[in-house]
Amino acid sequence: MDNKINPMSRIFLALIFLILYAPIFFLVFYSFNSGGTMYGFKSFTLDWYKELFQDSRLLIIVMNTLVIALLSSLFATIIGVFGALGIHSMKKRQTKNTLLSLNNVLIVSPDVIIGASFLILFTMAGIKLGMFSVLLSHIAFSIPIVVLMVLPKLSEMSPTLIDAARDLGASRWNVLAKVVLPYITPGIFAGFFMALTYSLDDFAVTFFVTGNGFTTLSVEIYSLARRGISLNVNALSTLLFLFTLVLVVVYYFISQRNKPNGWGVNK
Amino acid sequence: MTNEIIQFRNVTKQYDDDPAVLDNVSFEIERGKFYTLLGPSGCGKTTILRLIAGFTEASEGDIYFNGKKINDVPANKRQVNTVFQDYALFPHLNVFENVAFGLRIKKMKNTEIQIKVKEALSFVNLEGYETREIRDMSGGQRQRVAIARAIVNEPEVILLDEPLSALDLKLRTEMQYELRELQRRLGITFIFVTHDQEEALAMSDEIFVLNKGKIQQSGTPIDIYDEPINRFVADFIGESNIVEGSMIKDYLVEFVGGQFECVDRGLNPDEPVEVVIRPEDLEITTLERGKLKVRVDSQLFRGVHYEISCYDIYGNEWLVHSTKRAAVGDEIGLYFDPEAIHVMRFGESEADFDRRLEAYTHGVVHEQ
Amino acid sequence: MNNKITQNLYLLPYALWIVLFVIAPLLLVLYYSFFDIEGHFSLMNYMNFFTPVYMKMAFSSFWYAFLITFISLIFAYPTAYLLTKTRHKQLWLLLIIVPSWINLLLKAYAFLGIFGTKGIANSFLEAIGVGSKQILFTDFSFIFVSVYIFIPFMILPIFNSLNEMNPSLLDAANDLGASKWTTFRRVIFPLTINGVKSGCQVVFIPALSLFMLTRLIAGNRVITLGTAIEQHFLVTRDWGMGSTIAVFLIIIMFLIMSVTGNRKRGV
Repeated sequence: MDNKINPMSRIFLALIFLILYAPIFFLVFYSFNSGGTMYGFKSFTLDWYKELFQDSRLLIIVMNTLVIALLSSLFATIIGVFGALGIHSMKKRQTKNTLLSLNNVLIVSPDVIIGASFLILFTMAGIKLGMFSVLLSHIAFSIPIVVLMVLPKLSEMSPTLIDAARDLGASRWNVLAKVVLPYITPGIFAGFFMALTYSLDDFAVTFFVTGNGFTTLSVEIYSLARRGISLNVNALSTLLFLFTLVLVVVYYFISQRNKPNGWGVNK
Repeated sequence: MTNEIIQFRNVTKQYDDDPAVLDNVSFEIERGKFYTLLGPSGCGKTTILRLIAGFTEASEGDIYFNGKKINDVPANKRQVNTVFQDYALFPHLNVFENVAFGLRIKKMKNTEIQIKVKEALSFVNLEGYETREIRDMSGGQRQRVAIARAIVNEPEVILLDEPLSALDLKLRTEMQYELRELQRRLGITFIFVTHDQEEALAMSDEIFVLNKGKIQQSGTPIDIYDEPINRFVADFIGESNIVEGSMIKDYLVEFVGGQFECVDRGLNPDEPVEVVIRPEDLEITTLERGKLKVRVDSQLFRGVHYEISCYDIYGNEWLVHSTKRAAVGDEIGLYFDPEAIHVMRFGESEADFDRRLEAYTHGVVHEQ
Repeated sequence: MNNKITQNLYLLPYALWIVLFVIAPLLLVLYYSFFDIEGHFSLMNYMNFFTPVYMKMAFSSFWYAFLITFISLIFAYPTAYLLTKTRHKQLWLLLIIVPSWINLLLKAYAFLGIFGTKGIANSFLEAIGVGSKQILFTDFSFIFVSVYIFIPFMILPIFNSLNEMNPSLLDAANDLGASKWTTFRRVIFPLTINGVKSGCQVVFIPALSLFMLTRLIAGNRVITLGTAIEQHFLVTRDWGMGSTIAVFLIIIMFLIMSVTGNRKRGV
């Protein structure tokens, strides 16, 4: 921190950071406790990690979660990018704003409402609750984030770039493939990563629309946590924390290339 | 083969119900010359460029390229290339790939592309910059890349949309020379858009002065400077003193309370006119010798000359460019030759104006 | 021209998404709100909603959401302000955001351990002589954990609006003789009010509809509108009543959005 800041303020900031990180390190710390509780550290052990890796059910859930996250982000990115292109190409202000408002509905809606309304939707449409309904839901709530990450890149792009490409003989497809898409690539990646973290982090929507046979990590942790403390969860959170850090670093580098937009946060 | 390459016939461009951006404009562009479209912002000059490039469609009228109507030819199929005001270089491609963009679209062979891009870059003095990223190039260098990207496609016409406006003064002057030189070497048509009259005067073979969607006057820089058709052109090109007066008879015009010998003729007796005298044609002299009596109001040193602002007793401002100083507050005389007076009729069309001027040079009196 | 067709093709999947996952769910929720538990059309649900039971619940939801938002703002504003003064502010901001990328459930789970009867918080209270207390399943723990979870979303928009502010404005205010407090009140705060508004929106709406935290941390002591929706949809299967509450939440959501301006979340 800078020396411009007076000591009181430094202490305040330090406290905020301490409180923000304490619970996470608390979890990590007790994941090595042989005592089996989140108090009274007995001795160092890796047993919880071993147990975690022997728990094939949990490993399958982890796989499910990753597959859902990757697939939903991929589809959401494709649909979202084309959506952003469509919105961007709208000439009428009114249509554009209406589309943007509709786009943002799922972003501002509370998770409970998204979950409940999707549950009605899938039941009405006769879609069996399970992996497919979860995948559809994750795609659905990730699309608007992708759109919001891509749109600023599109509006930042000077329209003369497209004129220039046309002028040099590029067809419409050429313009899209050789100029527009490369230009908005950082936005697309940022959108993909945001979608990925939204999906990995989602609990409420999945909780509503999943069936008996299919669970994601968040839902599983919820049911474990309701039963009480199990240090398997601590071990798992340590691994997830590391995984998140990797994602953050990747995202950081993408954002650095994509400077003007600053940071996005997960819900 | 005719010498015309582009022809506009009664072209109008209008958005919705707004006043026309371009109002029934017709003109011809000849092969191998340097043209400048000059005018204030919003005069329609960029619209003409966009119509030629194919970025926008004419509301009415036809546009011909090499004798063929091109109204419906899309931009990517036209034999013209554009240098944009903001250069519009692709930020994700390096210098080489930016220049090669058009060639790659044409699916040209790689070896050929190598040769052509090298050649184009050397034309704009950017050899060795092939692998540079655009963001590492200065404004002037970007400018050159943009030009290389246009000329590498060997278009018949290059359109330049205020390409020098983002550069600082020194670089701008340098690039003016370079562009003019480049046009001579390539021998192709340049159509250059600017709002900077000095730039237009310095570079062009032919200038079109535009205002409010109409071409006010076209001609060589000298013609336009010396013989502006109306107040707008006189005012826009260079600095001028413009006063109202009336034509007493051939070779005699009256303004600010005096009658003065001039070289204009062929106007109606007592016809109201506007009179232009350029500041550099006014000479500071004694009150006795001066044709006009004025009081010096203020004076600025402009480097090569003093810019002296004076007022006559009628309240008209007279701007004088002089290498001699004057004393603020003094009464002085201003002297000018009969040739310095340029008489403009109200609402004269360009054709009539040309005919009248033609008459002076051939010594034929043209009676109305 | 083919321009139109391509443009529509861009939009086709996106338009489908808007119709199926934005408009249809909202309409379905509205539709279901008119059916009682036996599937008969009725206005009973709406009448029920205006009985003291639900009114009290709605009121307490609002109260908690207000407290959470307000406390978040009180801590977030100075934090955001101090962050803009640091030298590597984007990095510090990133560090504020990282915890928000950790799965929500894990953070809640960590507090189960921290606030537990033998947890670290109680050890601390004993150490300073206050003695151990029931912390978990109280209003305090609920609000503390909620603020903990939401505060990054409050900090981010305020940080962004502070960051966008032209620093010479502060010099100008100083130059014109404004004191530090006047500068804050008359210049800084008005200019960052949009950041504050979007921060409040981003915190208030989800806070109104929390349900997972109420169960894990507040142990069903706090029943919010979100909990009620979950209860009706997943436990009692009274979708009609659940939908009715959802309709009210949606209306409130739109009201808040129109008051705080339609700012996008987290971006």
